[in-house]
Amino acid sequence: MLRLVASRLLGTASREVPSRPLQILPRLYHENVIDHYNNPRNVGSFDKNDPNVGTGLVGAPACGDVMKLQIKIDEESGKIVDACFKTFGCGSAIASSSVATEWVKGKSMDEVLTIKNTEIAKHLSLPPVKLHCSMLAEDAIKAAVKDAEAKRAKMNGSSKAADVN
Amino acid sequence: MSKTKQLLSLLCRRLLPTTCCLAPFSANSQIPSLSSHLQSSSRAPLPLGLDFFPNPKTYLLSFCSQSAAKLDSTPKRCWNCVADAPSSTPFLYCDSCRTIQPVDLSIDYFQIFGLEKKYEIEVDGLERMYKDWQKKLHPDLVHSKSEKEREYAAEQSARVIDAYRTLSKPLSRAVYILRLEGVDVDEEQTVSDPELLTEIMEIREAVEEAPDSQALNQIQSRMKEKLEETSDSFEDAFRRRNFDEAVTCTQRMTYYQRASEEILKKL
Repeated sequence: MLRLVASRLLGTASREVPSRPLQILPRLYHENVIDHYNNPRNVGSFDKNDPNVGTGLVGAPACGDVMKLQIKIDEESGKIVDACFKTFGCGSAIASSSVATEWVKGKSMDEVLTIKNTEIAKHLSLPPVKLHCSMLAEDAIKAAVKDAEAKRAKMNGSSKAADVN
Repeated sequence: MSKTKQLLSLLCRRLLPTTCCLAPFSANSQIPSLSSHLQSSSRAPLPLGLDFFPNPKTYLLSFCSQSAAKLDSTPKRCWNCVADAPSSTPFLYCDSCRTIQPVDLSIDYFQIFGLEKKYEIEVDGLERMYKDWQKKLHPDLVHSKSEKEREYAAEQSARVIDAYRTLSKPLSRAVYILRLEGVDVDEEQTVSDPELLTEIMEIREAVEEAPDSQALNQIQSRMKEKLEETSDSFEDAFRRRNFDEAVTCTQRMTYYQRASEEILKKL
């Protein structure tokens, strides 16, 4: 099932990555990127309305990419226990968001805000022209955290009101 | 040697607007029609003491009837026969001696096709004009001519091709006309308008999950509709000179265009 979703997702991704990159065009994409492209981790969706889910939806207008990154927060500890993504865009964008979902798992929300696009770019050896893809991933993380925090604040607010009553 | 000349002339043209012209872009946009013979070619010498520059081709069409200072106002002459440039058509080619002129970057794409600088244009007329230009400028026609002219031919015809491609598609035309007004879409900037992005996400997911080509074609026609709608909104925003809104429209168009391309890939 996951493979089907993944392969469908890959089917809509850009044609930039050739079918046998290592043979035809060596070193066009870093092996980490190809790895994330062929074996994407954490593709999927959480329920947007779940109070413990934060959704970050960002887009890069220049290239028409759109990236959705979701995080699941543990109520008690406030840490991110799970993450998933869905990205429509080039291989670098897909890989960046895949890396992002891997890196946020198990961390606290404050911690993940320190993840920089330059780190993602370095991990994937992104060329200059693709740096904005990593920027997009960083913005997606921030948006997801912002959404999750807003939901938590709302929940705390309403539960406090309930306590007062 | 000619390359350094070109580079220097480019640099000087870049500098000149900031030093001597009041508001080149806004002044230009007030001018109603390209074909009106409004250019004023005064014979004032080039400022900044650029007379060491033995390049008579640094003439810039200046339509600023109101602006006091002119951009670069030496009249254009053919490098070969020294005939004066015609006042009504862009000087890419000298009709008197039939020689191709070097590229003049101040002539924008709209001028090449004799069009007013506005978003709504007659796309049908473009192809004919494009072919007419290529009949004069194409590199295949200059095999027997000097190396200099062959170089000019290559550059001029490439520029005309670029102009044709840019103007014939609405999205590229929109981005170009904004650029002429000095408004560039920042590549780095991420967009987080939730409404637009959710819409696009849904469209892209629908494309991914479409069961057959009929469903895809349905989405495709929806995309075409949306593109037209947004194109009209762009035109409206641009006419009102609300450039922020215009940029947002081009962003929407880019997304619809992308979705449309993905559908074509699947079909």
